[in-house]
Order: sequence, then structure tokens, then C-alpha cells
Amino acid sequence: MVDTILSQGRKTETKKRHPKIEDYSHTFRLLLKNRVAMVGMIITLIYFAIAFLDVVYPQYLGVSNINTLLSFREPTAVTPLAPSLSNGWYNLLGNTEFFSSQFPLLPICLASLKFDLGYSIFIVAIGATVGTILGSIAGFKGGYSDEVLMRVTDVFYSIPFLILALAFIFLLGRYIEYAVYALIIIWWPIYARLARGQALYIKSMKFVEAATASGASTMRNVFSHVLPNVLSPVFVQISLDLGSIMQLFAVLFFLGVISDPYFPELGNIINQGQSWLAVGVWWPIVIPGIFILLFTISVNLLGDGLRDVLDPKLRR
Amino acid sequence: MELKYYIIRRLLLLIPTLLGLVLLVFLLMRMFPDTYLIARYINPKSGIPYSVQAEQARAALGLNYPIFIQYFFYLKSLFTGNWGYMSTPIYSGPVLQGIELYFPSTLQLSILATILSVAIAIPLGTYIGARPNSLADQLGRIFSLGFYAMPIFWLALLLQILLGENVIPGNPLGLFPIAGKFSLASIPAVPPPWFNPSTGLTGPTHLPLLDAIIHGDWQLAISSLRYLFLPVVTLTLALLAGILRFIRAGMVDASNQEYVKTARSKGVPEHLVIKRHIRKNALIPTVTILGLLFASLLGGVVVIEEVFNYFGIGVLALNAVYNLAIYGVLGTTFIFGVTLMAANLIVDIAYAFIDPRIRY
Amino acid sequence: MMEEEHNQLSEVSKDAYLRAENLVTKFFTSKGIVKALDGVSLTVNKGEIFGLVGESGCGKSVTATSIMDLIPDPPGRIVSGSIFIDNYNILNDLPKLATINVKSETDVIVKRNKKLIKRHNFVISKIRGKKVAMIFQEPALALNPVLSIGQQISENILLHNRVEISNSIIRRESLSESDIEEFYKKIKAINDDFRPFVNKWTRLYAVPEAEEEMENILKSGADESYALKELKEVVFRQKRGNNLSLIAMMRDYYKVEEFLFELTLKLMEAESINDTTAVARLARQIDDHKRAIKARFSGFLFAKKFRRRKYERVFEEEARRRGIELLTLVNIAEPGRVYDAYPHELSGGMQQRAMIAMALASNPQMLIADEPTTALDVTTQAQILDLIRDLNKVTGSSVLFITHDLAVIAEMCQRLGVMYAGNLVEEGNSSEIFKNPLHPYTTGLLSSIPRVDVKSKNEIKLESIPGSVPNLISPPPGCRFHPRCKFKMDICSEKKPKLMTVESNHKVACFIYSKESED
Repeated sequence: MVDTILSQGRKTETKKRHPKIEDYSHTFRLLLKNRVAMVGMIITLIYFAIAFLDVVYPQYLGVSNINTLLSFREPTAVTPLAPSLSNGWYNLLGNTEFFSSQFPLLPICLASLKFDLGYSIFIVAIGATVGTILGSIAGFKGGYSDEVLMRVTDVFYSIPFLILALAFIFLLGRYIEYAVYALIIIWWPIYARLARGQALYIKSMKFVEAATASGASTMRNVFSHVLPNVLSPVFVQISLDLGSIMQLFAVLFFLGVISDPYFPELGNIINQGQSWLAVGVWWPIVIPGIFILLFTISVNLLGDGLRDVLDPKLRR
Repeated sequence: MELKYYIIRRLLLLIPTLLGLVLLVFLLMRMFPDTYLIARYINPKSGIPYSVQAEQARAALGLNYPIFIQYFFYLKSLFTGNWGYMSTPIYSGPVLQGIELYFPSTLQLSILATILSVAIAIPLGTYIGARPNSLADQLGRIFSLGFYAMPIFWLALLLQILLGENVIPGNPLGLFPIAGKFSLASIPAVPPPWFNPSTGLTGPTHLPLLDAIIHGDWQLAISSLRYLFLPVVTLTLALLAGILRFIRAGMVDASNQEYVKTARSKGVPEHLVIKRHIRKNALIPTVTILGLLFASLLGGVVVIEEVFNYFGIGVLALNAVYNLAIYGVLGTTFIFGVTLMAANLIVDIAYAFIDPRIRY
Repeated sequence: MMEEEHNQLSEVSKDAYLRAENLVTKFFTSKGIVKALDGVSLTVNKGEIFGLVGESGCGKSVTATSIMDLIPDPPGRIVSGSIFIDNYNILNDLPKLATINVKSETDVIVKRNKKLIKRHNFVISKIRGKKVAMIFQEPALALNPVLSIGQQISENILLHNRVEISNSIIRRESLSESDIEEFYKKIKAINDDFRPFVNKWTRLYAVPEAEEEMENILKSGADESYALKELKEVVFRQKRGNNLSLIAMMRDYYKVEEFLFELTLKLMEAESINDTTAVARLARQIDDHKRAIKARFSGFLFAKKFRRRKYERVFEEEARRRGIELLTLVNIAEPGRVYDAYPHELSGGMQQRAMIAMALASNPQMLIADEPTTALDVTTQAQILDLIRDLNKVTGSSVLFITHDLAVIAEMCQRLGVMYAGNLVEEGNSSEIFKNPLHPYTTGLLSSIPRVDVKSKNEIKLESIPGSVPNLISPPPGCRFHPRCKFKMDICSEKKPKLMTVESNHKVACFIYSKESED
């Protein structure tokens, strides 16, 4: 009711607007207003900042690669220590067992963020690019290519994600690099479907008809009309997928499907730390999990916020 | 009447997807060299000499033919129940037999978790969605986002720490066993005929709870119920969080629709507006997403079986991966795919029941 | 002055069915308070079609929604005013429902009395739909997509017309076999012209299926015994399994419930004028009745709880008959099929007809039609307008017709109100207003539509009103129209003009016509 009153002026405005996401600054301002999404964005940025810091100035966080990690090694005592402040900041969250040695938990967790985030972005970037382009073209062209794409994605969708990942990792090899390739192979259909749906919608709109009538080719239409409009749901999906991939990596490491025991990864830390649960050592399990949980929650908040802001229907 | 045609059409549409699934599994298989495929096809325990078995395997897989023809050989062997052989420390034998033994357990976990979470999510989501931004709503949102974002293995470990028997000494909440399907102590020294000591499985359904009830062994039934508790609760919490998010969003979305105003203008009392007009519409988007949620549930089942040592085909699949048992991997992938397809079919039918617009 | 006004009102209220007085509705949003209605008063008399006209955003729909008490809260609330429906003020407990503490435009704290709001909503829900029904702008959105047309119509009947439904079940079911045979003989006697009898049968006993069956039987030329058997079966199909004494008891129960509801209305009225003795008396009376119900209907309430489904089915079957009749009334060709159809299976015009049938389901004395034809194409528009006009004549119910289309108003309405920015600026007989518009806004509106039939002084020129509807968060002070008005005076921006009677049946809110401006 009140919306209709308030939107009298706005409605006519939206009708005239070319539905490209034309004003990024406006979108960003709206996002700033959404407090919950901002919290999500800030936490996500902190995670990326830590990962970035770790890459550029490894000395500050104490670990850059496995070799520096080894400098924390205390071969004498393997029993994990409880969290304490006495041994400096890196013992703040206690110690854990990692490849048969004792390690402070906080530095390994921080060090693993860089790998998790790096691989997540790599997978999502390739998956999103390939999927979006294929989906846009197929959705826009329709007909035979669309049908083939849909059947292929159907098959991918007909197997639970984790099982599909298991099968492809089994095929390629149970190491982290191969796991990354396997995830790229199974990740693009998500974006292909998303983009295809959006492309079908865009195709039905008047301005595309006008462009086609004035002689624009399919490719030109896809790149000048479909892709810009597909981008906003793709962004939302990317933000959500960063969390999903971090979780999937953690699961694959935890189950030992990716068998790189020296690789600092949150699931791997939990996997190796859980053998001490029987004597009441809970922190190697709980703390890396909180790192995953916090990241997934914040990208979800960010994704929801983005969706609200980018969806013209919900936009205010 | 229209519904019947809709279901038939849906069933027919399953065939291409099923063939595609077989094709994907087949292509996975064909990525490996012939010698590897033959070597893994052989049952080392049988007395038949290796060379004879190798010839049989080559014939069964159709390796002498071009790849297109091999696909049909593979299709034929799948439908005649010849799924190959797997050899792992926890199970060695024909793949199909392993699936027969352990699939019920996986199905049991998934179905129980689905039923429980849907049964909780619908009334809870209705309550929360009818009161947007109330305290209950805020709590519900925190709950659903938290559990939705939680890695399932971590949730399982947390529950083990909090509620697991003998995990933390002296924990008054530590009531539930964390590994296995039932206590071996509840099996008498001379086991009943329906218990197979070599596999540790009960007959005829291979589900300890159901078998114990069938045979009237209440001690075993209670024991297996206790062992079932934590895995089912973990899966339920994870699935519930997902469903709740969508029901809540659907309720809020539906209550802003024009037809709700119409219902109120007719003088429909508020509780009926919520139940009859808002909720029925809110369930539509929820049902469409249920297929995807069930897929992630099946992934979760694999993890849960491993964490709680609750032997099902998830554990079978993982062990096949660890032990390079290719036919085990292919077989479990196929059966998981078929399960998900069946679930999607049920979801589609439920969708048609709820939304009359779909049964065109 | 006050007395005069009061006299005037009581004079009007004799044949007024709906009377809204000084209705103030506000929306408390994060951007500020939207003063959507600023003291709207209007009267709709029994049996008339009253048109409400204005530009979009002027508050027509908010007026309708306020009359139905359907303003979404939050953000909106009816702040003050009264709405008399059938001489009962549905807002008589309004001041007690909530206290609104306005700290600033964007910071408003509404404290709600949840218990009273619950009772208020209960009472309102029994009046809505039963006494006043509403037809919405876009039938495609206003009909629930997952419920069939029949479910939506019968819902209304089953909510409000339980007593009537029980009566018609009893009337029909208590036919004896000899009645049927006699009836059949009569039909046989005048075989050539059986229709009036069949119609009479249908009307009397509300068995629409009987009509069809009879027609088929007689057309097929079957022999007498066969026809008789068929006819009996039709009637017995209705009879199966219904326990008439229980239905009669249910009817009594619903009657007492209705009586209790009337007592509650009286109680609320007494509370609103702080008549403590009456309140005490009515409260005692209600308690007594509740106790009596428990004593008398304990068995039935038990049955209602445990065997509800079975008796619901009987009621639903009866509601179905009534629903099909209603669909016939709104000129739907295949009422039986449409009854079972879902909204998406119907065309826009059919959907709107079904919507109207739904609104009529509980015999309301008043219909509010909120731009009922805007979403339809032109030919369908005309049909729907004809339908509403015919129904107004046939059922004698009043219609509050909201539109922005002056041509429609001219065709449909006896009386007419013009709204501008949350105010009623002119009210009167529509012919009078079209002939002699008084308010500058009305004049502007009328001259902005092209006319060929009337020759005005500036023959060719088609005028438009400069400017647009003001933002209702910070509306202009005084008369809200003054920034756009050609005849603006100093007083216009200082004081708000009241609706004054200028001629009989013609009121206007403008200082040009009031003596105040001369003071």
C-alpha cells in the first residue's frame, strides 16, 4: 500500500530505464545501507586481508609455506596444549597435532585461509566464466545447443555434489591440484543454468527484440545485452559459492579423499586433531570449524544483501 | 486425471536422464586404461585362473568393440546386475551385493532426516514466517543461517563432543553412542539366526532397528535407536536449517501478495489466512528447492556415515576411492544418482499436487 | 454550527449504509509519515452506486482499504475517525487499540494493545465479507492461485452463512418421496413446457443438478418408470448419510453464535461510550449465554470436534450449490466447470466475474469495487460494468465504485465524490457535478477529458492541471490543492477548507464558496 504511494514517481522511472546495471555507485550506496550485509562484507574482507597479508608479508603471520610452518615444530611434545597467552600470540588458541608434530593452532589456521580462498576464487572464477558464457549463448540461441547444454547439466545435477566430486577426484588423482581441476569440472553447470535462465528472460524483453530487428548478431546480443544483465545473479552466486567451496575442501580433506597430509587446510587440521578428542582435546576441532563457519555465514549475509540490492524488484 | 498424465510424462522424462547418468559413469570408466579395468574386474577369491577371468571380463565389458558399442555393453551389464567386483578392507565382493547390503542403511538415514526436518520445518516455518521481525523470527533466522552455513562434519563432531557417550568424562549429557549401529553387547552369545556375525548385519532388511522390531528383540531395538540418534539429529539439523530458510522467505513473500488481502477482505480469520492462503503458496518455492536440498543431504549422509562409523554405501564409496576399487566408485555413483533422481521425481509430483498451475 | 452538522448527519444516516467520518490514515515509514487520508468523510446510501474519483495516488484505494480496516499495520494505521456500517461504528474501540507517540517524522513509536487488537480483528472479520465485500483491481493477482474458484467462493459462504446453509440443507433433505412423485406427475402433465416447473424446483429446493438431470431425462424421451427412478436417485444422492436432526442442531448453534456476536457488538458499543451499567449487563448476558451454549450443545460440540469432517462435507456440498448459483448469476456459461477450475485456467474477464461472485457469496449489503476494470480489455470492461450495475439493481446492494475514469463514473454512478491528495474535495449527484463542477480541481479534471457531446466556452482547448499530486509526507499546508490552483487566495495556504453544503446534495471543500474567506 504505502509502497505504491511512495513509488508513484519511481515506477515510471524504472520503466524507462535500460535494464543494464548502469549505476554501480548507487548499488554500492544501497549495499552500505544494509547493515547485515555490511557485517558480512567486512568479515569477508578481513579474511581476504589476512590471506593477502600472508602472501605478501609472510613473516608477520609466522607461516608462509610448509617450510616456515616447520619452524614451529616442537618435536619433543606431541600432546596438544590448551589455549594460553603465555607463549605469545600464536599460542592464543592452543596447540594441535599436525603431521605428527605439535603446532600452534592459530598460525596454521591463518595460513590455511590463503590456500582455501585462493583455490576457491580460482575455481569460481573459471567455473563462472565458462558456465556464464556457455549458458548465455545457449539460452539466447535456444534450439539444439540449448537442449544439449540442459541435458548435460541435468546429468551433472542428477548426482549429489559430493559424490560427483569423489568420482572426479578418483579419476584425476587424490591430490590438491587435481581436486581443484575436478571441482572446476563439476562447478560450471551451476553457472550455466543460472545464466541460461537469465538469458531466456532477457531474450523475451523488448529492447533485445529491437536490437535483433535492427540487425544485431547473436554474439553481439549476448555480449552487449545478455552478459551485463546476467552478471548480477552471477555475482550473488559467486559470493555464496566461495563459502561452499571452502566447505567442500574442508570435507574432502577431513574425509581424507584429498590425501595431502602436509597441506595446511582447515578440514585437514580438524582431521588430524581429532585423534586427541578422547583425552578431552576439543580445540583443534572446534576452532578451525569456527573459521569455516564464520566465513560461510558472512558470505551468505553478503550474498543475501547483494541479491536484495541487485534485484530490481526488491530495490528501493 | 491430469495429474496422472503429468506423472507419466515425468516418468518418461527420467529415461534420457538415466541414460545420461549411465553415459557419465561410463565415460568416467573409459578414462582408465583397459588393463586396469580388466585387473579390477577380477575376483581374486574365485578359483578360476586369471587368464580365463580376464577374457571373461574383456567380453563382459565389450573391450574388443569400438567405444560406442562398449556403452551398450556397460548398459547391459548394469541392468543384468553385473556391476563388477570390489576389494577393500571393509568389504570385498560383488559391488551390487555390497550395495544391497548397505544401501538400506543410507536410505534409512536420509528418509528419517527428511521426514523429521519437513515435519518440524513446516509448523515452525509457518509460525516464524507469520511473524516477520519478531523475536521468534530473529532466533529462527540465526538458527537457520548458522546451521545452514555449518560444515556438516563439524556439526557432527560438535554433537559428538556435547552428547557423545564417553567423549568427555563425566558429561551428564553424554548419553548417545558415537560409533556403530548397535551395541554388540545386545547380541546374545549364541546369535539368533537372523544375525550374520561375519558381516555384522541383521536380516532381512539389514536395518537393525527394523529387524529387531520384526523379530521382537526389544533390547536390540532400543540399542539401535540410541545409535541412530546422533546421525539422524545431525542430518535433520542441517536439512531443517535449509528448509526453514525457504519456508520463511516464502511465507514473507506470500503474505505480501494481493490474494492475502482478498482473503482478509472476505473476513477469513487470521489463523486460516495463514494456514490456507499464505502457507499453501509459501510451500511452492520450498518444494522446488527440496530436490537440491536432498542432493546436499545425500552428500551429508556420506560424511555422517564416515564420522559416526554408520556403515552405508557412503562408507562403501569412500573406501572404494581409498582402495582404487573403480567398480565400487562407479556403482555407488550410479546408485546415488538413481536415488537422487527418484527423490526429484517425488518432489516433482509433490510440486504438482501443491501448485495447480504446473499440471497443464 | 455543531448542532447543525449533527442534525444534518442524523438526517443523512436514515438511508445511509456506509458512513465514514473524518477518517485519518497515516503510514509511518522510515522516510517520514505519509498522511494518506486527511479527514475523509463520505456517505453511501442504501442501493446506490457511489463513485470515488481522482488521480492515481490521491488516496482512493487507501479510503477503500481503510473502510475495510485492511490497512497493513505496520507501517499504516487508521489514526482517528469512525466508519458506520449499517449504523454500527466498526472503529468504536479505535482509541484504545494503540497509542501513537510521534517523536519526529521518522521516529514514531506505536504501542499496541495486543489483546484488544485481537478482539477488534475478530469482530471486524465477522463484518468484513458479510456486510461489506470488496472487488480488487487485478483479478489475476487477487485470486489465490493454489485454491480452486469453488474453494474460494465456498470459503466465504461457509464463514458467514452457516445458518442459511443449514436451513437450505434441511429444506431440501426433508422432501418426502411422495413429494417427488407428485412433482414428477405435475411435470408429466405439462410435458411441453416443463421449464418453469424445473426452475421453480431449483429455486425452492436449491438442487441445480436436478434441473440438468430432468432436462436430460426428458430430452432422451425415456419411459416414465425409468425417468421416475432417475429422478429419485438425484434426490437421494443428496440425502445420503445426512443426519437432519444434527444439522438442525448445528443451525441452532450457529444461530446462538450469531446472537452472541450481536451481543459482543453491543458490548463494544457500550464500552466506547463508557456506559458502565450497560457493559456490566451485557458482559453478564454474554457469560450466561456462553454457559447455556455449553450446557445445551455439549454433545454437538463433541461431535463437531470429532466428526467435523463428515458434516463439513455436507456443508461444502450445499455451499457448492450456492456457489454454482452465484456463478450463474454473474453470467458464467459453464458454472460447474468454472467452480472446479483454478484461477489460471480462466480469462481475465472470467476471473473478475468469479471475483464478483465471491464477493456476493455472503449476500453483502455493500460492494467496494476498487478499479475493477482497469486490468481488463475494453470489451470485457463494458461487460463487467454492466454486470455490476445489474447486480446493484437485482440485489439492491450499495456499491462504492472507485475509478480514475470519469466516463465510467458518468455512466455508472448516481452520486460521486472527488478526491485529491487524501481529501474529499467535492461530493454530490454525479449529473450535478458533471454539469456544474465547483471545486477548481474537479473543473480541471473535467476539462482534461476530451468531450464531443458538450460544447463549452473554450471549445477546442483541452486543458491539463499544472503540476502533479503532492508528496504526502510533507503535503502543502492548508488546502492541499492550492499550489496547483488557478484561484489561489491567501487563506488557502493557511487554513484547511471544510466540506460545505453549497446546494442540496452538492458539497465542496473550497474557500471560494465559503463565507470564511470573506471574514
